[in-house]
Amino acid sequence: MTLFKQLYAYRELLKTNIKKDIRGRYKGSFLGILWSFINPLLQVVVYWIVFPYLMGRGAMDGQNYLIYLITGLIPWTFFMTVVAQGTTCIKANEGIIKKVYFPREILPISMVASGLVNFFISCVIILVFLIGSGTGISYHIVLVPVIAIVEATLALGIVFILSAINVYVQDVENIVTFILNMLMYGTPIIYQLSQFGSSGILYTLIKYNPMTIIIDAYRSVFMYHEWINWTGLGIVFLLSLILLIIGYSIFKKLEKGFAEQL
Amino acid sequence: MNKENAIEVRNMSKHFKVEYDKANTLKERLIFWKNNNYEIKQVLKDISLNIKKGETVALIGTNGSGKSTLLKLMTKIIYPNEGTIETNGKLTSLLELGAGFHPDFTGRENIYFNASIFGLTHQEIDKRIDEIIEFSELGENIDNPIRTYSSGMYMRLAFSVAINVDADILLIDEILAVGDQHFQDKCFAKLEELKNSDKTIVIVTHSLDVVKKLCDRAIWIYKGEFRLDGDPTYVIDEYLNQVEKDHHDEIITKIKEGKHKIKGIVFIDAPKNFAKIYRTNDEISFHGWSITNGISNKLEIFMDAHHIKNVRFIPRPDVYNAYAEEYAGFLNKDEIGWEFKIPFSDMKDGVHHLLVRLQDQKDHTIEEKEIEFTIE
Repeated sequence: MTLFKQLYAYRELLKTNIKKDIRGRYKGSFLGILWSFINPLLQVVVYWIVFPYLMGRGAMDGQNYLIYLITGLIPWTFFMTVVAQGTTCIKANEGIIKKVYFPREILPISMVASGLVNFFISCVIILVFLIGSGTGISYHIVLVPVIAIVEATLALGIVFILSAINVYVQDVENIVTFILNMLMYGTPIIYQLSQFGSSGILYTLIKYNPMTIIIDAYRSVFMYHEWINWTGLGIVFLLSLILLIIGYSIFKKLEKGFAEQL
Repeated sequence: MNKENAIEVRNMSKHFKVEYDKANTLKERLIFWKNNNYEIKQVLKDISLNIKKGETVALIGTNGSGKSTLLKLMTKIIYPNEGTIETNGKLTSLLELGAGFHPDFTGRENIYFNASIFGLTHQEIDKRIDEIIEFSELGENIDNPIRTYSSGMYMRLAFSVAINVDADILLIDEILAVGDQHFQDKCFAKLEELKNSDKTIVIVTHSLDVVKKLCDRAIWIYKGEFRLDGDPTYVIDEYLNQVEKDHHDEIITKIKEGKHKIKGIVFIDAPKNFAKIYRTNDEISFHGWSITNGISNKLEIFMDAHHIKNVRFIPRPDVYNAYAEEYAGFLNKDEIGWEFKIPFSDMKDGVHHLLVRLQDQKDHTIEEKEIEFTIE
């Protein structure tokens, strides 16, 4: 309860921090906030050009590969950016942590929240591509915020743990970069899961990867115009909540040493 | 916790672990997992304090005595190893000014960032923003990015935000050194205003004048331990005595080790160099002062190579105040000045030389000064 009371008392800090995260990141660069769209778009273009050559045109069963990529890659970028930047968010704010008291959990929370805002803005790009390619939009996209909340909960739980540990063991940020990279190939973002035989260990691992379920949910509502796999997403949400509680208690325990350790 | 108290500290101890080769990476942790290469540094020992609401309290002590650590503990930036520390009411620390400033944003935007770190809401900042801008004297610059500010402007802005936050408890660490004399006076006036408005203020400072003028109470922390608490004038006096004693002891150890550099200053106030003095029936008066940081140094005065014996030593409070710190432990308040008189009848007309020399027990000169004057 004290958590919510504190968050409410410091809501302005949360707000300015989100604002700073979104605007400050690209302040001074010529294209400004546009970079947060251009980056994933450029990545989409690279995969779009390279992958069909490697996998063969037939691998997509006649689906629009560009749309398939965008609906997977942009939600993934949201997750990846939040986890990667969230891991270093305590260390990056060393200056204020050593000097001023404020609820430390504001930092990871605002990091995830600004990622979420950024993602919602990026959804505009997805919509533009959906319409432009002729795939079209259906009313199913009302579920996008729900899926995004599940994804954000998962990310926040992870960020709580990693950001706190990273203060003590600074290898974490390097390990995280590597694991995120691997996880991207462990999630059907640039390929289709059906391309594998449905028996191997790898297949099972990828199938039960929470991110697979989340990305699949996005694709259902954006691309296939259908309702999502509720049980799957429900379980992921439940697991994310448990992770969030565990993560928060770890964060609270380690938080007391932040100022001394940094 | 007692309702009348703003801050309660009970049997609180704090130590830091000083690691010589800090293992920051996983590899180092694994290889040196039994790292014995550290030292426990006890910073504060068993401190208990009550600070009542509305009090203005100063924490004094030498560098490294732990007073800043105590202040940090009060803000909950760091936590005690033993005992408890509780605060009652909204707390703002001016430990470090300009926390959360972002150079690419304007002064006005940064006021919002900075004030939000102190826990203010948007409406509360809106209400205060004019006051803050006015206090900072930044004028139109407030809408420029703060990377264009001079360091003085930056500090003024930061201080203006911090002091206008309107907290119940204000913790201040050595901040009255912001800006020029005019701005410092203004800050001081603001602090006095806050003091008279029921705020609890805790100040850490080395400027003892501020303590005497502003505080109701001074708490002296000596080498991490609570030493004395009470009226500022008395506590400061005791504190200075201790500083003097420590300084003296330190130098005596240094002298024993042969590392101490003996120095001194000699001054002749009257007559002035190359002065012309007209003969009267009276006597000529000579005076000046000298100080030294050796223990068995002595002052010798010669008039035209003739040793003067009837020298009287007198108090010189002005000199004492100027050098009290630098020569702490070696100044005898009542024997800094010297003077002697010679009747005109004992002096011939013409040019005379007065030599004042400070020398050690082996008659080596530490410092000397010579003037000439003419009697007509």
